[in-house]
Amino acid sequence: MTMDTEKLIERLAEIVEPVRPLARPWIRTTAWLLIAVPYVALIVFLVSPRPDLISKASEWRYVIEQLAALATGITAATAAFATVIPGYDRKFLFVPVLPLAIWLGSLGDGCVEDWIHFGPDGLSLHPDWFCFPAIVLVGAVPAIVMAVMLRRGAPLTPHITSALGGLAAAGLGNFGLRLFHSQDASLMVLVWQVGAVCVLAAMAALAGRYLLNWRSIIATTHRSVLLHPS
Amino acid sequence: MKRQSDDQALTTLMQAAQAGDARAYVRLLKEITPRLRQIVRRQRSFVSAEDIEDLVQDILLSLHAVRATYDPQRPFMPWLMAITRHRLADAARRYTRRAAHELQVENLPVTFSDEGSNIDSDGYRDPEALKQAIEDLSPAQRAAIEMLKLREMSLKEAAAAKGMSIGALKVSVHRAMATLRKALIKDS
Repeated sequence: MTMDTEKLIERLAEIVEPVRPLARPWIRTTAWLLIAVPYVALIVFLVSPRPDLISKASEWRYVIEQLAALATGITAATAAFATVIPGYDRKFLFVPVLPLAIWLGSLGDGCVEDWIHFGPDGLSLHPDWFCFPAIVLVGAVPAIVMAVMLRRGAPLTPHITSALGGLAAAGLGNFGLRLFHSQDASLMVLVWQVGAVCVLAAMAALAGRYLLNWRSIIATTHRSVLLHPS
Repeated sequence: MKRQSDDQALTTLMQAAQAGDARAYVRLLKEITPRLRQIVRRQRSFVSAEDIEDLVQDILLSLHAVRATYDPQRPFMPWLMAITRHRLADAARRYTRRAAHELQVENLPVTFSDEGSNIDSDGYRDPEALKQAIEDLSPAQRAAIEMLKLREMSLKEAAAAKGMSIGALKVSVHRAMATLRKALIKDS
């Protein structure tokens, strides 16, 4: 630092401007969904929904999996927004665990059922390279909006925050994907779709320190302090 | 009881600061700075007073940068303490990283040991020949060398003393250096 603390305080007061306090995490999640959901709907419409969507909507397993994926995305988003508020309640971190467990549990149950009905053939695994890029495409805008919104907060836990943000966008991406991609074999969904979601969340976690860091926001404030005519 | 009313006062000041009230902001920052200093000193008892002040300033800058994250419906101190805790942890990580890459040595070598890096400084050692070569320069070039290289005057000072432009002086000293180099290489 190049100035004494008293001087810094005076300079900070000189540059202080009114700020609108960040809304509560669940309100910010609603705002995020207001942008993300229409985008996902647009992509599903452009790619064209799967032909059996109406009949799938009456299959309880499909509905549970879709609701769990959506709930994972929404709760992960709420948790991510909570982690950028200093002094947040750490219980928020565990909110996505329940829907994620339901999602994985329902897919695991599907694998067991496929094994019972079809034997080893029910658990056949073959490459499905469509899933990863499709989830990236559907989750792209939600991810960008999420990143912009998270950067308005405090980068307290960059890796955790980014991982949750990535999970939110990818979870929503997977929800959208299953509206137009006819792949329902539980093991395939588990490996290629949930796997893609996990990989994307991990990649987001790795990018966390570049996306959210004190260095850049402090540098901006420091520059304003130094450049402000006293 | 007093602490509670103090926290309430800080909360009120922060709410005003979020609305852009500079006076409330100064009061708030002046109120919390000694507390922050105390916390930092207690948690980082091994660092110098200057480093403590740096950390306090870092926390103040962080507070300023993320002041929008303060929820006016909540108490102020837990919010401030969370920022302080994270900034101190970041500083500790930075310190550890730096310490891991630093090499402590008693005396740094003044130059590299390989031959190539020492040719210019050690290869020529004939002051008489150098003196003669300087005397053989033209008066303008000699004056330029004397002022800039021997008396270590700045370009501005030398130009003023000689009544020349800085550009002309630069040309003189460049030509003088070329002449000296040629003469000394020929001699050796």
